[in-house]
Amino acid sequence: MSERSDRRIRRVAVTGLGAVSGLGLGAREFTAAIREGRGGIGPAGQFDTTGFDHTLAGEVTDFDPAALLERLDHRKWGRSGQFAAAAARMAVEDAGLTPGALAAGRTASCFGTTNGESQVLERLATQRVRQGVAHLDAALAGQADAGRIATAVNHELGLTGEALTLGTACAAGNYAVGYGFDLVSTGEADAVLCGGADASNRATHAGFHRLGALAADVPRPFDEHRDGIVTAEGGAALLLEPLESALARGARVYAEVLGYGMTCDARHMTNPHGPSIAECVRRAHRAAGVKPEEVDYICAHGTGTPANEAAEVAAVREAFGDTTPLPPISSVKSMIGHTMGAAAAFGALVCCAALHEGFLPPSATVRDVDPALGPGLDCVPGRAREARLSIAQNHGFAFGGNNAVAIFGRFDA
Amino acid sequence: MTLTTAPRGTGGTTDPWARERSEVRSEALFPVPAVDLLGCAVHSAAGPGLAALGAALEAPSDGRAPGATDPADLPAAPGDVPYPPLDVRPAAGFDPAAVLGRKGLSRLTRTDLLGLATCTEALEAVGGLGGPDSLTDLDGSPAAGETGVVLGSALGSASAVAEFTRDTLVQERPYLVNPSAFPSTLMNSAASRAAIRHGLTGLNATVSGGPLASLHALRYARNALVRGHARQLLVGGVEELSPHGAWAWQRAGALAPGTALGEGCAVFVTRLSPGPAPDLAPGSAPEAGAAPLARLLACDIGSADPEAGPLGVARRLADCVRGALARSGVTPEDVAVAAVGAAGRRGWAAVEERGLRQAFGPGPEPFRLRVQPVLGETHSAGGALQLAAVLARWQGPSTGAERAAVITSVGHDGSVGCAVVVRPESA
Repeated sequence: MSERSDRRIRRVAVTGLGAVSGLGLGAREFTAAIREGRGGIGPAGQFDTTGFDHTLAGEVTDFDPAALLERLDHRKWGRSGQFAAAAARMAVEDAGLTPGALAAGRTASCFGTTNGESQVLERLATQRVRQGVAHLDAALAGQADAGRIATAVNHELGLTGEALTLGTACAAGNYAVGYGFDLVSTGEADAVLCGGADASNRATHAGFHRLGALAADVPRPFDEHRDGIVTAEGGAALLLEPLESALARGARVYAEVLGYGMTCDARHMTNPHGPSIAECVRRAHRAAGVKPEEVDYICAHGTGTPANEAAEVAAVREAFGDTTPLPPISSVKSMIGHTMGAAAAFGALVCCAALHEGFLPPSATVRDVDPALGPGLDCVPGRAREARLSIAQNHGFAFGGNNAVAIFGRFDA
Repeated sequence: MTLTTAPRGTGGTTDPWARERSEVRSEALFPVPAVDLLGCAVHSAAGPGLAALGAALEAPSDGRAPGATDPADLPAAPGDVPYPPLDVRPAAGFDPAAVLGRKGLSRLTRTDLLGLATCTEALEAVGGLGGPDSLTDLDGSPAAGETGVVLGSALGSASAVAEFTRDTLVQERPYLVNPSAFPSTLMNSAASRAAIRHGLTGLNATVSGGPLASLHALRYARNALVRGHARQLLVGGVEELSPHGAWAWQRAGALAPGTALGEGCAVFVTRLSPGPAPDLAPGSAPEAGAAPLARLLACDIGSADPEAGPLGVARRLADCVRGALARSGVTPEDVAVAAVGAAGRRGWAAVEERGLRQAFGPGPEPFRLRVQPVLGETHSAGGALQLAAVLARWQGPSTGAERAAVITSVGHDGSVGCAVVVRPESA
């Protein structure tokens, strides 16, 4: 199979979506909740909250790995890998494919994460404190590698292609979608499961707590009085395949991946930097072949911290220029919280659903839009609005200044 | 700090999808453009630099690194986590302050220090961003925005994550952690800090994958260069030695008998080759710029169906090696060296060896370059250190006839990988 024709750049379709989220299991349930502006924030239950001042989190309260996973023995895998595998299986079923068909072809997986198998590491740390380091559970230690997140997907679906886990923190979901797009468009793979996964855990919660970055109740991206994030968890998966083969098999095409761009702030480990984000947006536009005025919707990184939205909106204004009005820009973190390595993957999923179904996802919790963010900012308060979109832009930014922006287009058969 | 468990047998479990899978795998065999490896920096138990690595690999090995381990090289251990009774090999003579200066080093993890210092030295090896062969923007300034970093790392700094999480358990309040330690608990800390230090605003990525992490980094970087996400990338892998990680390996008993636990980092400065896709014929030198140390051709990664057992992993590796060679335009007979990744892990060395014999048999077998007896098991830095070892070998006097090498590894999750490197005639 050494056809040079394989080297031509192929168009890439998103034909399957999977979600393991605090707003429900499966893309259908998740999208319906997003459209209604429902909240998925509640008391944290994945770790002992004794002693924390902030005890809310966006957790997947009804996750039953034994019921959702067919091949993976969930007892041997961390929660992040379980999320990725379950979301990937949902995406395959949603695409009308069988795992067998995917396994027989050249199918890869790539998933992003911030904290890897954080619950495994937390259990190991607890063993060390309570029993001493000489008593670490050997089997548990064998589950600690972050790379097992993508591997879990391959094992669950019987895939034999590459399984790549990207550790680019809270931008990792977009890195994963972008890499999957490259693999399919260049012919390196004929299908890719891509997305992101992270699990609610004590260390992440404590870290943001200590930085003073946790919200008092729910995250309120774009609100004048926004006061921080809510830590959250979940897994989101997209199935990418060549548009041509998707059409040939009569698949539903949610959207096309048009391109993506990446930059690094190279300035500060935790503060976002607007000009670098603006350059990331410009790169994504160039790669996707779209002009700013063609973008109908921006799915923001929108964490709910004062610093993020200030930098993000300023960056969008810089990238779009003075003459182009800002498209509606909203944050699904207002509903599910900050799912870390899954965040940009959830954003990508929402972009695809919004293009396919024709709606603008809301910033559900905003009360008073921050005037400091400037005039003409439509952050879609409250509930979703019906809207026929052509181009959606998905943001993912991270500690370490890792930025990635992905562009999706509506596909009309 | 991940460990391996010995491969399990086929166990008789049936694979519900096996009947749908074709017997012969269809690989993407279209040719790959070459990537130049322009500069290299390396730290390991062999000491800093390619020359030290080459010398250590040349020396007759009695299973010990040259010279006894200097206790001063050993990363510090907290009171309740002393090193286990395990042979450990820290990066010899690693002096981050000499490379980076003293300022701010106390806030950095061992992974940060290894990654940051090695990236710094790799960039210096090609004359820095403003060197004679440097990339420039349209206005002639150094193209910081076209230069990026791709590092492989199993989970970042295992010791930093362990200490940070411990603090949440033992402090008066669980959130009374050290805030400045928080960013270093993330996997992307080392790569991000390298970007900050050198103002590298291009693509910055961190990839995981246990013993495959460095090969993932090479593959990810290859794609990024080919697809135009960056014009120049610092690519490598990093793994720290820590008492926390050492205990995990000790508890799992995953090291092969006689194999120490090591650490290290190797970073390569990479660009797309300016010339046409290279072959092994004379005259395939790049059109411009300094001669590369070597060229990276295909770097392919796959995973074996877990139900297929160790034999399936070996078969998958053989497929992966054959496919990577075909895509590189390199015949098995051309391959003089196979730098193996699993030689230090109990059970998996045999799996990798079986896969290589399937890939190269019945022809002449490439020389097995085993870094593990000298460097110890270096996990996510392994692939990068294996590649550095090939480059070091090719800088030696007696290897002039060697034209191509493969770098392979297998992971206990069934993942396999193979990178193909060739030495240009001009190098």
